[in-house]
Amino acid sequence: MRTVFLASLRTHIRRYVAAAIAVAVAVAFVVVVGVLTSGARSGLMDGLGAPYRDADYVVSAAGWPSSELDPKAAIAFAERHGENAAATGRATLPARANGRRLPSETTVGPIATSAEWRWQELSSGRFPARTGEAVADVYFALAEHIAVGDRVRIGEGAAARDVRVVGLVESPSPPAQAAMYVTWPQLLQWRDHLHLSAVAVRGEVGQLPEGAKAQSPEGFAAERLTYVQNRVDSLSVMLLLFAGIALFVAVLVIANTFSILFAQRLRDFALLRCIGATRRQVVRSVRREAAVVGVLASLTGTLVGVGLGYGLIALINTLTPTALMGAAELPTPWLLGGFAVGLVVTMVASWLPARRVVRVSPLAALRPDAAVDVHTATGLVRLALAAILLVTGPALLGVAMVQGSTALMVAGGGSVFAGVLLFGPVLVPHLVWITGALLGPAGRLATKNAVRNPRRTATTTASLLVGVTLTTAVLTGMATWRSALDEQIGRDHPIDVALTSPERPVTTDLLDRVRHTPGVERAIPVDGAVARVAGLDKPIPVVTAPAAEHVARDGGAFARVEPGKIGIDSEAFGKDLSLRPGDRVTVRVGDRRAQLQVAVGTGWGPVGVVAPETLATLTDAPEPHAIWIRASSGADPARLGGDLDKLADPVGATIENGLRTWESLDQQLEIYTWSALGLLGIAVVIALIGIANTLGLSVLERAREHAMLRALGLTRRQLRRMLATEAVLLSVVATLLGTVIGVGFAWVGYETLVTRALSDATMRVPWLSLGVVVLIAALAGLLAAVLPARRAARVTPAAGLSLD
Amino acid sequence: MTTTTRQGAQETVAASAWNLTKTYGQGDAQVHALRGIDFDLPRGRFTAIMGPSGSGKSTLMHCLAGLDQPSGGTVTVAGTDLGSLDDDALTIFRREHIGFVFQSFNLLPMLTAGENIVLPLELGGRRIDDAARERARMLADTLGVADRLGHRPAELSGGQQQRVAIARALITEPDLLFADEPTGNLDSTTSAEVLDHLRRSARELGQTVVMVTHERDAATYADYVVTMQDGRIA
Repeated sequence: MRTVFLASLRTHIRRYVAAAIAVAVAVAFVVVVGVLTSGARSGLMDGLGAPYRDADYVVSAAGWPSSELDPKAAIAFAERHGENAAATGRATLPARANGRRLPSETTVGPIATSAEWRWQELSSGRFPARTGEAVADVYFALAEHIAVGDRVRIGEGAAARDVRVVGLVESPSPPAQAAMYVTWPQLLQWRDHLHLSAVAVRGEVGQLPEGAKAQSPEGFAAERLTYVQNRVDSLSVMLLLFAGIALFVAVLVIANTFSILFAQRLRDFALLRCIGATRRQVVRSVRREAAVVGVLASLTGTLVGVGLGYGLIALINTLTPTALMGAAELPTPWLLGGFAVGLVVTMVASWLPARRVVRVSPLAALRPDAAVDVHTATGLVRLALAAILLVTGPALLGVAMVQGSTALMVAGGGSVFAGVLLFGPVLVPHLVWITGALLGPAGRLATKNAVRNPRRTATTTASLLVGVTLTTAVLTGMATWRSALDEQIGRDHPIDVALTSPERPVTTDLLDRVRHTPGVERAIPVDGAVARVAGLDKPIPVVTAPAAEHVARDGGAFARVEPGKIGIDSEAFGKDLSLRPGDRVTVRVGDRRAQLQVAVGTGWGPVGVVAPETLATLTDAPEPHAIWIRASSGADPARLGGDLDKLADPVGATIENGLRTWESLDQQLEIYTWSALGLLGIAVVIALIGIANTLGLSVLERAREHAMLRALGLTRRQLRRMLATEAVLLSVVATLLGTVIGVGFAWVGYETLVTRALSDATMRVPWLSLGVVVLIAALAGLLAAVLPARRAARVTPAAGLSLD
Repeated sequence: MTTTTRQGAQETVAASAWNLTKTYGQGDAQVHALRGIDFDLPRGRFTAIMGPSGSGKSTLMHCLAGLDQPSGGTVTVAGTDLGSLDDDALTIFRREHIGFVFQSFNLLPMLTAGENIVLPLELGGRRIDDAARERARMLADTLGVADRLGHRPAELSGGQQQRVAIARALITEPDLLFADEPTGNLDSTTSAEVLDHLRRSARELGQTVVMVTHERDAATYADYVVTMQDGRIA
């Protein structure tokens, strides 16, 4: 049997290439996750301890992370140790650079003047030496266009200070990171805003502040690391989930490969049995073949994964200066694990097809015309199981939707999907028929070829089905979540940018300039009068905006205040707002007054919104005191805010920028969506390798048929087109089915999870994205057909006919 | 083709080969399958090419049918020099002028007998209209498989399959019908039926038929017999 095994390995190894690639890709996926995890971990370890490397003790909150150091006591403690202490922490303050307000509050941290306490790494310029000088984090500087030599005003009102940026630094320790760093005495000028996370001490610790503990620097770093590491680990688990999906698809692909190859070689096996090989010998030879494929594929996958992982670490470190990827040690358990998974997957996938091989009777070799029996019956057991799953699955999903139970949803979704996969050999050929019928007679041969072997067709499409179902579920889920959040944010931030002039009315000239600012889609003047509202320190404009619907994200609902009420933006007045919803306040304009009930909302700036009737009782000559702006889609919030601030500042007006919230939400969702799609993409790629593989093996099987068709007058181009059509049919059917199931799952998920979290969310189907998915699948199917079709078309009819 | 003599020749000669050679492999492994064949195929007759296996009879047929390119010499079918055609032109030429019946693997397993018969028309992009269907039915009737048109090849006997294949070969009214060992897989009674059909298509329909066989009995049905030996006509 040894000679037979080696010879058949030599002959058939090339046919395993595609399946081996599928396994190798999945294994490489696992290994890359391992290398990245260990890289991230070692990067954290290096950076985290940097601020404390020369300390004897680190003082931090005893109950961290649930409690913090008392700011005043911690500052006093650090002061007391003077040169022998260095604090880490930050003050969060508004800042303006180059006459532009920075879009988010800026964090400011301390930087030591002595080299041994300094942990930031200089990347350009120099370190600050005195008060009035600062360095900026390179990443922050990049984002906010700050350069060495720029002036930055940090803080507001009496606490505002100007500093000059003298250098840019990298800051490797995430807990101590800030956007800008100034000397300790300078930082103390904002002591009311300063929160210290830890104080590094040289020599004796002395009296600790209340609620603090002292640790060795190593102990402190270890404590912080475990916290961050848990997040790294949970990220790894997420990634492994996707790797698991890729592995599952790889199992389908390789199982299909084995069953096709074994079916093609059935006569060989029968012949072996005829001349005296026992069942056990045949099976052992076949299993050994699978083992060789598994070992080679897993080895390749592991090596590729290691290379790719280290490459990615290098790439990430070059692209993002703040990244914390260290030089990872070779994560041996991951490598062994990845290799073992690849081997096991291959062996498991070959198990069933190999069992079928033993059932071949020796007589099969003697039958004169024992062409491979291409029609595999769909077992009754299989159908019964599919039926049970397809009945219980939806039932579980129904209960899940009613009860909002995630566990039931997952169980129901799993059983529906398993049911569909089992039912595939019946379902998929019918779908191929229906889709193929749309192609007319031109696609008839391709359609019939595609459904020749129902089980093969079903397995091939199943591999793609997995990826597509998850992809469309993610797309639909994200779109739904997105629209739900949009509505919510529309209510919280109805006005993109509100320009409010509390003292003087806004001029038509200003309105014109606002309207001509790039990124402004529409701007309306809002009429009102300056009023004194009891309970507020300063006079505010009381306005009415019947035209708010033209700019508001919530359709102007916030501005439709009932007569007798006044709408106050709780965010614009901050924590100091003493008014509560339902309070009755007196509002005075000149000598007229009105008694109004307070209603609270957010997102339109420091003005009181009243009904037109109410305003009419307060003033006869309303003047515009605010401009409400709707940004055009795609406008850069930071830039628009900065531009408008430049217009507003000279006339004493203020800006309320609601657009920022949109931007960060957009970015977050986009990152989630694209990461999920990218990771699922690997499963889809494996599935496409599977389609190419099935087609390639079928082409080998049908060589004589193709030769005959060519003899009868099928041109090379027609042959290639026929095979391409077959591949496209398979991929499009898998994609359409996957899309239907994916959107269905998304709907269930929406009913189960989203409607509970966001009560008035509406299901949103992203038709455009789904269309793109189907289109991509069709194109990918075409791509998958290229190689097999070319190979098939190369054979001359005479050569094909003389094949045995 | 403007001279009367050529036109006259075309009336009697369906295809001709001149100094036809075919070699496979190189160096020591070189095999001369055809060693210079000069040969005219009479129109409207049933010709059998005979010879033991390895004599080059299948290669000769492949070259005459435009399935394989000869190493040297020329093949002319219906006045066209096959050497001047590229692969696509050759394929279309086969589609329009040549019909085939093979030993086995003759029909597409996923098509019905009826669909198999009209397949050459479909490959040529012709619409399967009533006239085509009528012709298919007529041919099936002549060949005695009219009642099996809706069946798949797997549901037909060997003889029935071969008769469906003959119907398929005749549907395009080809200039030449090639049959490669058409009775190789059939028992003697069925063989006789199939050979009779081939003879009748030559006699009654004026169809030029070329059959490659190594069975002497089969060759007796033919009008002419060409015997091959070691790549030459004996």
